[in-house]
Amino acid sequence: MTFRSKVFWIFTIALVLSVALIATGVTIVAGKALDDSNAHYTDALVAQFEREFARRGQDIARRVQGIANAEGTVRMAIDLARPSADPSVYVDDARGVALSYHLDILDFVGNDGTIISSAEYRARFGYKMEWIRKLGQAKEIDWVAQGPFLTRIDTQAGPVVSLLAVSTVRVGDKNLYIVGGERLGREFLASLVPPEGMRALLYLNLDQNFQPADLVDESGPIDRAERFASFVRQERSHAVEQTFKIDWTSDPKTAEVFHTLPLFGRQSELLGILLVGSSQREIVILERRIEVLALAAVMVGIGIALLLSWWGAARVTRPIQKLAEGARAVSEGNWNTRVDVRGGGEVGQLARAFNQMTEQLVDQRERLVQAERVAAWREVARRLAHELKNPLFPLQTTVENLRRARQQNPEQFDEVFRESTGILLSEIENLKVIVARFSDFAKMPQPELGSVNLNEIVRTVVKLFEAQFGAVGRPPITPELHLDENLPVIQADQTLLHRAIENLVLNAMDAMPAGGVLMLRTSHHNGSVKLEVSDTGTGLTPEESGRLFTPYHTTKQHGTGLGLAIVQSVVSDHGGRVSVESETGVGTSVQVELPARPPHQPPAGRDGE
Amino acid sequence: MKRTWSRRTAAISGATILLIAGAAAPGARRPRYGGTLVVEIGAAVNSTDATVPSGDAQEASAREQIDRLIFDHPSAEGRVASPGPFRMAEWEPGKRAVLAANEQYPGGRPFVDAIEIQMARTAKDRLIDLELGRADVAEIPVAEARRAAEQGVRVSQSQPDELIALVFVDGRPPAANRRMREAVADSIDRDTIVNFILQKEGEPAGGLLPGWSSGTAFLFPTAPDPARAKELWSQIPHSPSLALGYDSDDPLAEAIAERIAVNARDAGISMTAQSTRNAQTEGRVDGRIVRLPMTSSAPQPALASFLALLHRIAGLDPGGALPDSAVPQQIYEQESAVVHGLAVVPIAWVPHTFGLGPRVRDWTAPGPGQGWPLADVWLDDTGPEPPKGSS
Repeated sequence: MTFRSKVFWIFTIALVLSVALIATGVTIVAGKALDDSNAHYTDALVAQFEREFARRGQDIARRVQGIANAEGTVRMAIDLARPSADPSVYVDDARGVALSYHLDILDFVGNDGTIISSAEYRARFGYKMEWIRKLGQAKEIDWVAQGPFLTRIDTQAGPVVSLLAVSTVRVGDKNLYIVGGERLGREFLASLVPPEGMRALLYLNLDQNFQPADLVDESGPIDRAERFASFVRQERSHAVEQTFKIDWTSDPKTAEVFHTLPLFGRQSELLGILLVGSSQREIVILERRIEVLALAAVMVGIGIALLLSWWGAARVTRPIQKLAEGARAVSEGNWNTRVDVRGGGEVGQLARAFNQMTEQLVDQRERLVQAERVAAWREVARRLAHELKNPLFPLQTTVENLRRARQQNPEQFDEVFRESTGILLSEIENLKVIVARFSDFAKMPQPELGSVNLNEIVRTVVKLFEAQFGAVGRPPITPELHLDENLPVIQADQTLLHRAIENLVLNAMDAMPAGGVLMLRTSHHNGSVKLEVSDTGTGLTPEESGRLFTPYHTTKQHGTGLGLAIVQSVVSDHGGRVSVESETGVGTSVQVELPARPPHQPPAGRDGE
Repeated sequence: MKRTWSRRTAAISGATILLIAGAAAPGARRPRYGGTLVVEIGAAVNSTDATVPSGDAQEASAREQIDRLIFDHPSAEGRVASPGPFRMAEWEPGKRAVLAANEQYPGGRPFVDAIEIQMARTAKDRLIDLELGRADVAEIPVAEARRAAEQGVRVSQSQPDELIALVFVDGRPPAANRRMREAVADSIDRDTIVNFILQKEGEPAGGLLPGWSSGTAFLFPTAPDPARAKELWSQIPHSPSLALGYDSDDPLAEAIAERIAVNARDAGISMTAQSTRNAQTEGRVDGRIVRLPMTSSAPQPALASFLALLHRIAGLDPGGALPDSAVPQQIYEQESAVVHGLAVVPIAWVPHTFGLGPRVRDWTAPGPGQGWPLADVWLDDTGPEPPKGSS
């Protein structure tokens, strides 16, 4: 991954995470705000219920007091206070009065707590309403001060929870109790006006076990009431307000959040539970909208982040990239490379340092080239002087012998002349050979490629030198061939390779004046072939190894210094590589690596140099 | 001929009725002919043809009353060809009938020219029409008698000649469990039912026959024993919840059923009162509140008719028929055998109660098995009847 890619992705991830965090934050905050709003509506509905509850209670108390104040009731009280009172004549009165005063519950109760007439349970006449009597006996209750209250009461249809008020009509020492009220049920819920998406449910705690039919809304028992069973049981156990959620289907829009309000009777017994339900539909829709918007913002943010990241990464990495390209160009030999980076930051300083460095490198390389050129010329001059000095000395001596013989022994001059001209010709021939050798090196031919089996060349060269390995008068040299029979055929100039390998074998033989082992090994790797020529000679010093391929440099007394230079030239022309490993006293190993096919033809013109 | 005028709340004894009738005779006005007597009934009579089955007992009773006005019934075997004091002049099935006086009636022309019978009138409407003078004669619920009298309506009552009883349904759990039946019977507070629901216009019934007929009614206890009922019920393993049925068109039966259910619940018996509006509901009730009208003042035929009815209603074994000459001991023993079997639990005897308009004269409440004495009634348009010793 490039530096630009890394910077790009770092920028992108940072920006995307930032946008995502902001979107998530907005979603959470919006959800919280919606929940708060929902709780606010729930509180409002609970407050509305409590207000309605109080208002109804006051209204009931007013109506019950109205019944108590009515002339018929007073007459009833007076009649029932008589010693021979006949309560049977009033047995049906409660029903009519209840209808007149729009009460669900109405009981006329005698001083001893006996029900004289009951609207909600006509057949209960004659039975006792215990709680009235007990309270009445324990203490004269001020029922007006007591106010309306919730209680469980039996009716013809079964027990109900009612909001009751009690009034008394006192005649002498006897009371007539008027107990009136309204059922707490769906009619009561119908009087509430919940906001859109909310509803009020009422559970009447009339049975020890959860009864689905006792959970009603304004239209009656609700469907799937059993879903509330566990929450109702919990409410009955703890009798505290709680909030819970019911998922009616897998669709979250159908979910409802319920808030409970326990309803207690006079003895703090739990008589009912108001459940304020809030549909999650609008909230879910709103949340989804927010999520969609957040997602859109994230997507747009990602797009912007990508663009910004791309731009930022490009801006940041462009100087670095230029520096990298410059370094690559320098590494490829283009030492004149300059990096155009503006700005005063670290990257600008780095670019300027780079430019300065390349300038210095070019300068130093030129100086080095010049120095090497001078050194090479000196070496050439030295070698030429050395090579030419050897034949020149016999030539000078022979010419001086001829002159001396002419002057001092004219009679022998012819013989001397004959011998001397022979020597002169021989030495001149030597000079010609030396010149030819230098000429040959200068005129190394272009390789003519063809299919070549390196193993065959190695075998041919070894066979060529077999006689010399075991020549009389010199210590024997043992050749060892480790040839890879699976060596691939390569495209190369067989003649040039033969010449290069000859030079390597000659060098190795020269390095083993005391005899030894000459090992030639071939191998292949990744399409290229490798030749290793090792000897067990005296080895080279590091200084000698460093100058080994310098033309005309030799460690031998009679060498031209062109052998390894020719090897390097041949190998280089084939796109290969040559290296030397040597250790003093152990031996030297030359490795030649050749590609299966030269990458390109070497430049022409060598012949002319 | 007995004549009862009642505006009192208490039941009127036979002796009192005779006293009232005797006291009224000297000041009575002379009968006069003419006028149309308006009678209102609750039933809707759809046909006077005896071969067409009646919809319910109420319709059957009303149809029989109309039949008795049109035809003479010299024997109990049924209709004969002899025309009655009236003839059918107009007939609107289920709504209205006009009976014109039969000028050729061998027993003498009725005093009124015609009787207009308004059918399917509710008890409330009948009472209102009586108060407003739109109706001359109407049968009113016994429980409304006292209130009607307080509103100024003239009330006439028969002897308590209709038995209201709880009959256990054959095939249901109580029918096969005497302890269950006994617990229910012991829980019933008959006095309160009579005093409150019947507004004291009736008598608690321990036996099948009323005291005024058999003279042995006092031998059948009527007092409740809720403690014993509770104990008996507690001895029943897996005691069921009982349903007590009543005729949805009979408010009195409904009120009594509800009260019995309350009494039963007070004794720990799980019981609900339930209207038997359809056959499905009918099949689920364990007992029913039934009305058993007496067909005769004489105890032996009255008991026989009760047993026949109970056999039809509850499959009760009527036992051997008593001879016409049966002595009270025999009648009591047969009655006692039935009552102690607890398949039927007598609750109360109730009278038939009629409201009379102010111009109606010489009305006599019909006795058991008798028709309305409308042929003897005349209309006095001269003004209200002078006060009697009893009003």
